[in-house]
Amino acid sequence: MAAEHTVRGLPRGKEGSLSVYICTVCGYDYDEAAGDPRHGIPPGTRWEDVPADWVCPVCGADKSMFENQGGKAETPAPAPMAAPAGQAAPQQGADAKRLSATASNLARAVQKQHRAGMADLFTQLADFFDGQSSPAGDWQTAADLLKEDLAGRYPAAFAAARADGDRGALRALNWGEKVGKIQANLLKRYNKEGDAAFEGSAFFVCEACGFIFVGEQAPEICPVCKVPRFKFARVGRGASA
Amino acid sequence: MIAVRNIRLCTKDCLCLFVCPTGATNTDNGQIDPDRCLAACRACVDACPSGAISKVPLNYPPQQPKLPGTLQAMNQLLDSRLAQERAADAMLAQAQTAIQRQFAQAMKMSLRVVAEDVLRESGYMLPQGQPARAFLNSLLDSPQPAGFPREAVERLLALLG
Repeated sequence: MAAEHTVRGLPRGKEGSLSVYICTVCGYDYDEAAGDPRHGIPPGTRWEDVPADWVCPVCGADKSMFENQGGKAETPAPAPMAAPAGQAAPQQGADAKRLSATASNLARAVQKQHRAGMADLFTQLADFFDGQSSPAGDWQTAADLLKEDLAGRYPAAFAAARADGDRGALRALNWGEKVGKIQANLLKRYNKEGDAAFEGSAFFVCEACGFIFVGEQAPEICPVCKVPRFKFARVGRGASA
Repeated sequence: MIAVRNIRLCTKDCLCLFVCPTGATNTDNGQIDPDRCLAACRACVDACPSGAISKVPLNYPPQQPKLPGTLQAMNQLLDSRLAQERAADAMLAQAQTAIQRQFAQAMKMSLRVVAEDVLRESGYMLPQGQPARAFLNSLLDSPQPAGFPREAVERLLALLG
């Protein structure tokens, strides 16, 4: 890739070779030679000339989530941060949430096993503990924690799962990290533009991996975990669960 | 083993009705009656032209073991993701516009799916597994707030066998 900087001694420009940038959430290729004409980016448009508000046409990730195909990110990646060892997220009042999520996860599992009676009981338990947990924080709290997750907790968990040879954990971390990037993108957009960011769009949440799609209709397959469209839940105007 | 029907794949060719020796496949809710389904029979699974029926076990093998290093790292992630869900709860409670409500709801749902996935890979994949049972037993063994659905937990432990 060093060659592209030194073609006939010219700086990167029209004469330099064109590069490909890959979406780290869904794997979409932005090829400078091809551009993205359907979204107003003509062929031959350099990555740095793609407008800052352009998003991945497949999954909606913003430019900061793309990497140069050579692995060299044009937008500097956050400096790797040491894992916040032993320093957990705010604990107070968190126990009920943990019990609720444990029960709702088991509810899903028995649902998959076609044990409907048990699913109702686990859901009852999950709802009870959700009612016991107290809401706390705001979008800034969530964005700050998520940033720490992406910089520290995910890399640390990837390293631990790799050391343990735990393929299941690696799979969950892979999906969770990608979904985290999309969540971080949406929080950033919302922080900047407020309600206008999502005017005229609907929200679709993938029930298998948690990927959030903002648009008119859910994608045909989930860009992160590849389940078909019917696995997306549409968040209605009334916005009850 | 009990036969289950995936209603999304079912094309109503009705061969399961023709071949079932007990009438278990003939119900009005689209599901096969587990009380009538015979453990060793798979006549409907083989006859179905759209592959909509499968047999699922009632008992499952032990789960893959989880090691302490992974568990600890997953645990820290879980705490953080659930703290984010509590923030989404707060934003949902304070929402004033339809978009604020929808965004908070979408984030809450998404965060819960991610948290559940972390838990699934932290020993809670199988409800029949030891960690899930220990979870239920620990709820019965410690003091709980008013309204705790104790009977539901006791019933779950009985059903899990």
